[in-house]
Amino acid sequence: MSILAASSTTATFVAPHVEFGKLSPMLIAFGTATLGILVEAFAPRKQRYGIQVGLALVGIAASFAAVLALAGTTASVVAQGSVAVDGTTLFLQGTILVISFVAFLVIAERKTDQNQDAFAAQGASVPGSAAERETTRRGWQTTEVYPLLMFSVGGMLLFPAANDLLTMFVALEALSLPLYLVCGLARHRRLLSQEAALKYFLLGAFSSAFFLYGAAMLYGYAGSVNLAVIAQHVAHPTAGSTLLYTGVALLGMGLLFKVGAAPFHMWTPDVYQGAPTPVTGFMAAATKIAAFGALVRVLDVGLGVNSAENVWRPVMQAVAIITMIVGGVLALTQRDIKRMLAYSAILNAGYLLIGVTSTTAQARAAVLFYLPVYGVAIIGAFAVVTLVRDAGGEATDLSRWAGLGRRAPIPAALLAVFLLAFAGIPFTSIFIGKFAIFQAALAAGSPDLVIVAVLASALAAFFYLRVVVVMFFSDPLPQGPTIAHPSIAVKTALAVAAFATVALGVAPSLLLHLANNSAGILAK
Amino acid sequence: MSHGYLSPTGLEIAFVLIGLVTLGSGLLVVTVKNLVHAALWLLVCMGSIAVEYLLLTAELLAWIQVLIYAGAIIVLFLFGLMLTRAPIGPTEELNVRHRWPALIVGLGAAGTLVTVIVQAYQHTWFDPRGAVPLGSGEALGTQLFKYWVLPFEVLSVLLLAALVGAIVLSRRGRDTEEAEA
Amino acid sequence: MNPDNYLYLSAILFTLGALGVLIRRNAIVVFMCIELMLNAANLAFVTFSRMHGALDGQVIAFFTMVVAAAEVVVGLAIIISVFRTRRSASVDDANLLKY
Repeated sequence: MSILAASSTTATFVAPHVEFGKLSPMLIAFGTATLGILVEAFAPRKQRYGIQVGLALVGIAASFAAVLALAGTTASVVAQGSVAVDGTTLFLQGTILVISFVAFLVIAERKTDQNQDAFAAQGASVPGSAAERETTRRGWQTTEVYPLLMFSVGGMLLFPAANDLLTMFVALEALSLPLYLVCGLARHRRLLSQEAALKYFLLGAFSSAFFLYGAAMLYGYAGSVNLAVIAQHVAHPTAGSTLLYTGVALLGMGLLFKVGAAPFHMWTPDVYQGAPTPVTGFMAAATKIAAFGALVRVLDVGLGVNSAENVWRPVMQAVAIITMIVGGVLALTQRDIKRMLAYSAILNAGYLLIGVTSTTAQARAAVLFYLPVYGVAIIGAFAVVTLVRDAGGEATDLSRWAGLGRRAPIPAALLAVFLLAFAGIPFTSIFIGKFAIFQAALAAGSPDLVIVAVLASALAAFFYLRVVVVMFFSDPLPQGPTIAHPSIAVKTALAVAAFATVALGVAPSLLLHLANNSAGILAK
Repeated sequence: MSHGYLSPTGLEIAFVLIGLVTLGSGLLVVTVKNLVHAALWLLVCMGSIAVEYLLLTAELLAWIQVLIYAGAIIVLFLFGLMLTRAPIGPTEELNVRHRWPALIVGLGAAGTLVTVIVQAYQHTWFDPRGAVPLGSGEALGTQLFKYWVLPFEVLSVLLLAALVGAIVLSRRGRDTEEAEA
Repeated sequence: MNPDNYLYLSAILFTLGALGVLIRRNAIVVFMCIELMLNAANLAFVTFSRMHGALDGQVIAFFTMVVAAAEVVVGLAIIISVFRTRRSASVDDANLLKY
């Protein structure tokens, strides 16, 4: 009887109201990806590449247009509290889309490597086998990469917007799973690539288990996974807070893994080195932006109450310091340019964590400014790496780059621009970004962090400049690597990245203003 | 409103028995030397967790647990073990070198978590006769489509991506349609 | 009855899984241990759901199961592709990438 009584109360089901307009950027991205799967099924093989690339770029542009259309609308929480559409969300979504557009131009490049893109013709064929040569000769390609990456873009758009931990978890998986797969598809050095995929996958799944257990603890604490409800419980505690802090610690492990912060950074160099280089650029930029967006939302919306901040801030500050030291010191010892850029990405995660721990609106604005300028520069740097090639793919060993400045002045000069920006030379965008973060940290009263950061920057300047010196002030190798001539798409991507890096260093006020305006609005 | 399936004492006895099975099989998954046996112990573990769900009045979830975990995932694992030619019989793949650090980490983590739970729930009790919503299919479905529509849709997209991606990664050789293209 | 019994079970199961990830070498078994951790999280969600008298936790556990299924598909595809090229599924053999 009792079961019947329970079910009769739920008999009238009212369909939920879904704000499709506010969700349109993500819906467009996921829709494009699904369309891409249909293209795989129905379009003839020869035309797939063109259709897929065109579709992906149009989808990203349309999604960006949706973000623009939403800019200026009032901040609100939509889809039954699952998604927060506010200034910060829209700024990050716009950034992710711009970065993805540039990254897709580089990913789709075929001119640098004998009319082949960076992906294996068939994922499972044994490298170097007759079967693989046959498939390559026929011009087969893994065009499914583009819809897979679009799925990932959709997940990235949702990740920083998620307003409850379940949506965040699903978005985390939606952005990660396609990336695990694409990591293992490099055309050259397949073994390295597949190992990178395996490591990324196992460690990623391990960390998402921690994320989930943390979410369970927070659910136990607050009775809901909604960040706003958790915030209410933190502000007016009804139970002891041990469960809260254990939950936050476990949840934080999962998020810091995605961010690539220090005790959880072990996957970064391996995966960045093994993955196809254009995908590495995409991951280094876009994943980091999405993950920082999610971290900011959890910490500022869910745990932004003073009593909680006092507990997590010292821990996060320690993480920031360890991250900067690990990134800076280990980057010094690298001989491989992709690994060096990976440690540089870890170092930059450390700077960003300083901004996150400062929790003022000013600091949040500084983080918002830093993310796009960092993302554009790192994509540019990895795009230059794809151009310097040996017989077996890219020449990533630093010794092979000797004298590159004389043999190929333009790529070398472009890389020099990005590296000098990372080193924090004035009149580059990242200098302004660092300055804004340090200023916010000083204003928030943590000069110790700024001191460590400045020391790490000095250390970092050394290894960035070392690459520049190797390129411009040493003699070219007699059997040096060849410099590929890229298509107009990659040239455009590189030009945009370099222009943005310099222009935002000279005249940053527009983006700073936008970041300032966006950072203040956080829907709760 | 549900009154539970068993009397309070029966509930406790059932929990203790099933809990022991869960823990024992979990321990065996981690320590057994035969890889195929590890997968089979995982099956036992997942099955006993399904029974725990029943004790917690999560009806539908118990069935999903049996269908997805015991039915699909374990079978996939067994396929995976066979496709990678896992040795039948005991192996030396347990990493002995890491035993002590792992033990310390494990004991530390378990101790911390258990302490946390003691701290948090010292004085909370289930009321076995209390008014608890029953996790029936209808109730769960209503919740799902009332409050969790967006994650649900993203989940479907995620499944599509996983499906397509897995095919892409493991496809090789020629299929008839491709050979003529 | 006291609900923390279920939570103890969940916590110990989670730790066992994490332990397994650290000490096993076969990638598939490592992955099985990760599944154990996810199951532990699910058990915690369902227990909390019972304690709070709301169905949210059960819905979340449902989501986790589906995500886990997707993860298994992807994971086994990666493990098998690694195995095909190097004839080994041991994590220790994956050592081309070093500091």
